[in-house]
Amino acid sequence: MPLKSGITEGRVAIKKGKLLKIWARFNEDVILDIKITGDFFVYPENTIELIETSLLGKRVSEVGEIIKKIMENCEYIGIEPQDIYEAVRLAWMKRS
Amino acid sequence: MDVRVIFDKKSKAFWNMALDESLLINLKEYGPTLRFYGWMPPAISIGYFQSLEENVNMEEAKRRGVDIVRRITGGGTVYHKWEVTYSIILHPPPGKILDSYRMIEGGIIEGLKEIGIEARYSGVNDIIVNGRKISGNAQTRRYGGLLQHGTILIDVDIEEMFTLLKVPNEKIKDKMIRDVKERVTSLRHLGIEIEFEELQKILARGFERALNIKLYEEKIDERILKKARELEVRKYATQEWNHRR
Repeated sequence: MPLKSGITEGRVAIKKGKLLKIWARFNEDVILDIKITGDFFVYPENTIELIETSLLGKRVSEVGEIIKKIMENCEYIGIEPQDIYEAVRLAWMKRS
Repeated sequence: MDVRVIFDKKSKAFWNMALDESLLINLKEYGPTLRFYGWMPPAISIGYFQSLEENVNMEEAKRRGVDIVRRITGGGTVYHKWEVTYSIILHPPPGKILDSYRMIEGGIIEGLKEIGIEARYSGVNDIIVNGRKISGNAQTRRYGGLLQHGTILIDVDIEEMFTLLKVPNEKIKDKMIRDVKERVTSLRHLGIEIEFEELQKILARGFERALNIKLYEEKIDERILKKARELEVRKYATQEWNHRR
């Protein structure tokens, strides 16, 4: 059930190397809130917080580019930048 | 390279994580350290990026007197009971982070050789014996230093572990337990009975050989303990830290 007109929530878990879980709240296709969790490794660790804050107010179609840019100098284990994008996109598609 | 070694006792979860971080914060002045320790009471540690609520059955942990703490390292949920945990705090070696995992894990593999166990790397952060995981490892780079900690299982009780973890679907819990039993091993399961203190010494020798370092025993300095006490109370024991995701 929509939270209020136009506001929806999506939650998705994908497992490739490690588990990646995304919860997000949307207004149409704009991200209002997002939480990225899982048992992966990203260096430096504040990258995930940076992604979460950078995605606020952005459209789902913009997510891929933003994540790619933030993670271009990162090292990671168990997830790839496109996995995060894919999970956000799936969360949006499965939103309710 | 000379590295201080600390053969530590079993301590509470908040303290264990606080002391590891204090050693990392003070690396520049205090120098590199290899620490071995255990957990009393048993504890669950969760990875830096994990959600505590989604992964841990907090009521059951409370009922059983099991501590819960969030690590500053990534990775998954670990139930710490019958094991030796190590932490190594070093100036980061040149090259990729992933390579330094291997270098450090070499210490465990070398140590296990001494008791007749042929272990090898699996992925980046696991060590396996006969295809089954015996050690998990996690690293962070902060404060200009490297901290890697990991566990070596002396024994493991998968059923007990699963009572403390949340599973996505109760219907598949039994299958998950069977799967994990097939994927995890311990020294006891390999027919090796070993004491906590003895395994610490064996692993220390493994690290000396694999990392080409010289270990010297030294009591932990008061300023390190002071910072650890501060981190224990102001960070690791707080809801703000443990429930931040």
